[in-house]
Amino acid sequence: MRVITATFAIAAGLLVLLGYFIDADVVRTIGSIITDWAIIIGAFAALIGIINLIFVHMEKFRARQPGGMYSVILVLALILTTGFGLLLGPENPFMRLAIDAIIVPVESALMAILVITLIYASIRLLRRRVDLMSVIFLVIAISVLILIMPTPIGQLPGSQQLLDFVNTFSRGGARGLLLGIALGTLLTGLRVLFGIDRPYGGN
Amino acid sequence: MSIDFLAGLVGLILTLLIFSYLIGDNPLFRLATYLFIGVSSGYAAAAIWHYVLIPKLFNPLRSSDPTQLLLAVLPFILCFTLFAKLLPRISWIGNFAMAILAGVGAATALGGAALGTLIPQSLAAMDMFDLRGLDRAQAFARLVQGAIMLAGTVAALGYFQFSASRAPDGTPKRNAFFEGVAWLGKVFIAITFGTLFAGVYMAALTAMIERLSSMINFIRQLAGI
Repeated sequence: MRVITATFAIAAGLLVLLGYFIDADVVRTIGSIITDWAIIIGAFAALIGIINLIFVHMEKFRARQPGGMYSVILVLALILTTGFGLLLGPENPFMRLAIDAIIVPVESALMAILVITLIYASIRLLRRRVDLMSVIFLVIAISVLILIMPTPIGQLPGSQQLLDFVNTFSRGGARGLLLGIALGTLLTGLRVLFGIDRPYGGN
Repeated sequence: MSIDFLAGLVGLILTLLIFSYLIGDNPLFRLATYLFIGVSSGYAAAAIWHYVLIPKLFNPLRSSDPTQLLLAVLPFILCFTLFAKLLPRISWIGNFAMAILAGVGAATALGGAALGTLIPQSLAAMDMFDLRGLDRAQAFARLVQGAIMLAGTVAALGYFQFSASRAPDGTPKRNAFFEGVAWLGKVFIAITFGTLFAGVYMAALTAMIERLSSMINFIRQLAGI
C-alpha cells in the first residue's frame, strides 16, 4: 500500500514539475489538470477540517471541559455563518456584514494590541538576554522606527540616506534568509518527490 | 437600524473586548476570539464551497461532455475518501488523496522556490555589480553597496551551516573561518530582524490608529457631533 501511495505522490509531482520546464501544450495541460485536482482535494480537506473543528468543540462542551461555553459560541457562530454562506453566497450583504462587523474589526484589533505586546517583548528581551545581538536588534529597530515615523515637520533631515544605509545591510541579510528558505523548500520538495519523506501516511 | 450602524456597533464592542486583553487574558477576550474563529471558519467554508467546489467539481459533474465528466469523477471519489481520515481504522483510504496533494504541493513549492526565489534573488545579487552606464563615483558607491549585500547574503547563509568536527574534548566545533562567517551572519540577521520588527511595529501602529479613529467616529456619529 505504501508503494502505491508513494507512486501516486511521485507521479503527480513529476507531472506538475514537468509543466514548469517543458514547453509543450500536452505536458502543461496534464500539469494543470492535476493541479486542479489538488486544489479540489485541498478545498475538500479544508471543509473536513472545519467539520472536525465542530466535532472537537462539541466534545469539549459535552465533556464539560474548562471553557466549554466558549466552544458553544464557536460552534453556533460557525454553523450559522456556514448555513447563511451556503444559502446566500459569500457576496451577499448579510455575509458582508459578518466581515465588516466581526472579521475585520477583530483582525485589526488583534493587530493593534501588538503595539503593546511588541514593546513588552522588547523590554523582556533586554531584561533576560543582554548580548551584542539583542542590542544590535533593538538599536536598529528603534532607529528605523524613528527614521520612518512621520513627524509634524515632515521627514527628518538625512533620514532617507541613513535608511538607505541600514537597508543595504538588512537587504543582504534578508537575501541570505530568503535563499536559505528557498534551498530548504527545494530540499523538502525533492525528498517528497523521491519518496524519502511521506507526509501523506505510510512512514 | 441600518446595516452600517449595526456593523459599527458590533465592531466597536468586539474591539473593546479584544483590547481588554491588555489587562490580561480574560473571559471577554476569549468570547471575542472564539466568535471570530467561528465566523471566519464559517465564511471560509462558504467561500470554499462557492468559489472552488461548485465551479471546479460540481458543475463539471453535471456536464454532458464525457471527458469533463471523467476528469471530475476522479477528484470527486478522491475527495470522499478523505472522510476516512476521520476514522482511525480506515484512515489509510484517505492516503491516496493526500498523496496527490503532497506530490503536487512539493512540485509547486519546488518550482516556486527555484523560479520565484533562487534564480531572481541570485540575479539581483549579481545585478549589483553591473556598473555599465555609471560614472566613477556612482560605480564605486554601487560596488561598495553590492559588496556589503553579498557579504550579508553569504554570511547569513553561512550562519545556518551546522557541520562541525569534534574537538579534542569531544564537543562539536566549527573551524575558525566558519565561526567568523557565522558571527558576521548573525550580525546581518540581527539587523534584518530589527528592520522587519520596525515594519511590523509600524503596521500594528497603523491598525491601532485605524481602530481608535473608527471607534471615535462611531461614538461621534452616535452622539450627533
